Amino acid sequence: MAKTKYPTEPLKTWNRAKEIRENYYRDYAQAHEKGGIRWAGGAWSFDAIPAGLGEDVYNITSEPYAASIAFDKKFSLECLEAVERKGYARDLCSYMRNYWGSIILDKYAFGGKFPKPDFIWQDHICCSHAKWYQVVTDLEPDIPHYCIDVAVGPYPYEQLSENKLNYVVGQMHDGIDWMEKVTGRTYNDEFLIKAVNDECRATSVWAEICTLNKTIPAPLDEKSMYSLYVLGTLMKHSQIVADYYEELRDEVKDRVERGIAAVGNEQCRVMTDTQPPWGFLRVFRYLEKFGTVSVGSLYTFGLIGMWEVKEDGMWGPRTTPQQKGIEIKDRDQALRILAEWNLSKPEWQHFYSPDYKSDMMIRIAKEWKLNGVMLHYNRGCEGLTVGIAENRLALQKAGFPVMTFEGNMGDEREFDETRTMARIDAFMETLDMKKIEE
Amino acid sequence: MITAGVDCGAKNTKVVLLKDGEIVAKSIVLSGFDQRAAAEQSFAAALEMAGMSKSDVSNITATGAGMKEAQYAQDTVTEVGADAKGANFLFPSAKTIIDVGAEEGRAIKSDGKGKVIDFAVNEKCAAGAGSFTEAMARALEIRLEEMGPLSLKSQKAVPMNAQCAVFAESEVVTLIHAKTAKEDIARAVHDAIADRISSMVRRVGIEKDVALIGGVARNVGFVKSLEDNLEISFSIPEEPEYVSALGAAIVAAEHAKNK
Amino acid sequence: MIEMFQEWYDNRHEYVKNWKEKNGGKVMGYFCTYVPEEILCAADILPVRILGSHEPQDVTEPHIFGMFCPFCRDCLAQGLKGRYDYLDGIMIAQSCLHIRQAFTSWQLHIPIEYSYYMTTPHHIQSPRALPYLTGELKEFQKSIEEWTGKPITENDLDRGIETVNKNRRLMKQIYEMRKGDNPPLTGLEAMYMVVSSQMIDKEEHNRIHEETLNELQNRTLDRPAGERLMILGSEDDDTEFLSMVESLGATFVVDDHCTGSRYFWNEVTPNENRLEAIAARYINRPACPSKDWPERTRLPHMLNLAKEYGVQGAILIQQKFCDPHELDIPAIKKLFEENDIPTLFLEFDVTVPVGQFQVRVEAFLEMLREEDLF
Repeated sequence: MAKTKYPTEPLKTWNRAKEIRENYYRDYAQAHEKGGIRWAGGAWSFDAIPAGLGEDVYNITSEPYAASIAFDKKFSLECLEAVERKGYARDLCSYMRNYWGSIILDKYAFGGKFPKPDFIWQDHICCSHAKWYQVVTDLEPDIPHYCIDVAVGPYPYEQLSENKLNYVVGQMHDGIDWMEKVTGRTYNDEFLIKAVNDECRATSVWAEICTLNKTIPAPLDEKSMYSLYVLGTLMKHSQIVADYYEELRDEVKDRVERGIAAVGNEQCRVMTDTQPPWGFLRVFRYLEKFGTVSVGSLYTFGLIGMWEVKEDGMWGPRTTPQQKGIEIKDRDQALRILAEWNLSKPEWQHFYSPDYKSDMMIRIAKEWKLNGVMLHYNRGCEGLTVGIAENRLALQKAGFPVMTFEGNMGDEREFDETRTMARIDAFMETLDMKKIEE
Repeated sequence: MITAGVDCGAKNTKVVLLKDGEIVAKSIVLSGFDQRAAAEQSFAAALEMAGMSKSDVSNITATGAGMKEAQYAQDTVTEVGADAKGANFLFPSAKTIIDVGAEEGRAIKSDGKGKVIDFAVNEKCAAGAGSFTEAMARALEIRLEEMGPLSLKSQKAVPMNAQCAVFAESEVVTLIHAKTAKEDIARAVHDAIADRISSMVRRVGIEKDVALIGGVARNVGFVKSLEDNLEISFSIPEEPEYVSALGAAIVAAEHAKNK
Repeated sequence: MIEMFQEWYDNRHEYVKNWKEKNGGKVMGYFCTYVPEEILCAADILPVRILGSHEPQDVTEPHIFGMFCPFCRDCLAQGLKGRYDYLDGIMIAQSCLHIRQAFTSWQLHIPIEYSYYMTTPHHIQSPRALPYLTGELKEFQKSIEEWTGKPITENDLDRGIETVNKNRRLMKQIYEMRKGDNPPLTGLEAMYMVVSSQMIDKEEHNRIHEETLNELQNRTLDRPAGERLMILGSEDDDTEFLSMVESLGATFVVDDHCTGSRYFWNEVTPNENRLEAIAARYINRPACPSKDWPERTRLPHMLNLAKEYGVQGAILIQQKFCDPHELDIPAIKKLFEENDIPTLFLEFDVTVPVGQFQVRVEAFLEMLREEDLF
């Protein structure tokens, strides 16, 4: 191989990430064998709360699970077609359709039958979130379903009033009572408090890792970040993930110090937006031919990572309650902290106005020193594409070249690979980037 | 110096030979099923017209969806890049370039020197402006060339859904059943395509002057609809289908100079 | 008098411009029927629902990605084209993401004096929703008072509640008449009535309503009612479609639309805490599917409507890409068919292919007629 501009090397902690993910899907499937509990819910649900039911509680988050299906194009198509046969519309959320398909076919993406959850613990962000599991309970009628509405407005862009916080926390309290009823277990606040602390730690450290990618050359590329950030979407509340992210942070720090690059010929830095078309991650490899690295996105940074503006005006990891010396004493305090923490999630703000998202994207474009932006107009996710056209206008106004491409994160029938590659060629041409390697 | 540009389009394969900034020959061949053969034929025809042989040509650059099939080309350039070069060669004042072809529509914002600042390409759902008009001409049992002049006779705008060609097609069937006048249907078809194209153009924004290129620019009915829609008049080359090939030939000359 | 509703609907912009000239009051354009009109009426503000114009357009592409519903794009297009240039303010009570974009892009690109985003609860089945919405209404009231510079008194609120309640009551009385064997009005006329109530001064609307109510006592349609149909689904003011169906000899006797019964079905039950009373009304109203979870409370409600109104067949419509409705339609279809009410599903866009839909509706009506034979 030709010598590259910067040294590269594989991540040492890569295999550990892989192992955590494998264990996760296996543990969920096998939970009942050991008398444990299984629950299902979204990647953004308050997973620290069911942790209070005991140490043998395992979950499956629906979006990452569906993304795993989408990655397997053959199985994904079976799932999507099974859903269409049941009369559901083709333009619905493609994660949801992959997930339903897996239930209808009763096939688990990791082998065997689909392991039914004991209950559903969801939160409602976009129009589809609560409805997703409403349909699940149409398909599997005996599963109890609880869902928390979090749509109380932008924060910290606007003030979080007591009224708003009380609404979310109130639903959490009711949810705990409900959970005790449906599982017959007594709730343990100690477990909850530990999970809240671990979640704050994990999500802050992930932001710290992303901050390290401001470096030129970038120590991580977005394609690898997908496999790493996903752990936070599986169980952001768990000590396993929080510990792993600390380990990873140390390694990335070391890469930065030694000048290790993710893409050896880095000469152009971009970010993307929304979930990628999971079946076509080779798009990122194609970018590398132009020496182009995607250093991340608001999606990879802000779906799991928690951020704040630091003293120097730059974006950095949000200071955790523990770092502030706050000791959580009881359930109510734990829930209030958990709610407030999650409501500040960057990836929730655009539900109220594209302006908030544009603001954060422009910040990333500047601080991460980008040459351009590639927006995935994702037909599979209305939630993350809400306002995306306005984001494009705002980025351009701020002086960043933007390319858009249509696709679908979980329905490969809606992605035109040839045309997308042709569009990338044209975009690279406008950025004056020539292919380095063929 | 002589250079060649080859545009392997979805419907036609076009070749332009350029000698010191002058077009000396051009040819057009149906792309058909075997685009590689079409690319060969088209190139050979252009050489013949100019009375030249391949060895006279210093550099050949290919563009278009099937650009890989022009195996004799040394370089490639994207359609977006070729459009901007070709259009600005003809119209240096053009800041916005609209290319409407058989399968693809493009809107390009340019600096007037052939450098692309921003661009939009139609998505899957809005593809096929040229092919769509052709299919609709068949449905109306007229020749494609008649569509434009016919629609200019229309006095009545019939709204048609612009979102999706399949939907639009079913609306045309409805209009035929409702005994709508042919010229009004022809206009409705052009209005619908113009709606989709102008939506795309508005994405990059409109800065004067505006050049309209690509084969569909020959359709006077479509041009009228699009001009009405955008409330602007276009610069249209005499032979709008050759502009990409011309752009590719210019890129070829630039490459040759840099070598 | 009933013709007045259509006249208002057709000339909505002229009406509001005249209203402003006459009354000098402020006009609030609103995007979703969860907006508490009681508070606006209490502040003497005219609430006007922003609707589309059912014309193809090419101005929203830079602002809203094409996979969002045609309705939200049509609404934004009206703003970008300056058709609502008389508005003093715009507001939304959050429900689905689609219409939210029409609102936020409007905020970004169309200069306006006042705009308000109201965070309405989605989890309306939770006991926490009532205190929460009450609190949000309080915030909203404060914001309106600051804007107009005039406090809203309890008397004002009572007046606002009564005006809107009366409007609801009158519409329900007219709907009641559609239960009979020979409904005195068509579905199209009922649609004009409800949609116009979303854009006309409520007191004026009430006056015409009262006269219409009297008029309808002695009115019969100049044709038999034919098949009794229900129409339900997304936002719908596609008068062309309704008119086409009714021209085939059938009659719409009831609906479940936010441009129909869902808009006015329940009243505010007065209570010492006015804002809480208003909040309770919006929480208890027939839900938009985006708020109807975890239970689907719409199902029994719609089935009741179908039974009470003697519905023989239901047309389920959905705006293209309208996810909340898409997520309910299979369940509705199943329920109706289990109850021997055949259904016909149609996907709506800004314009509908009337000719093609006519063929399908004719086949559907034929099927209903055949069932009559046995």
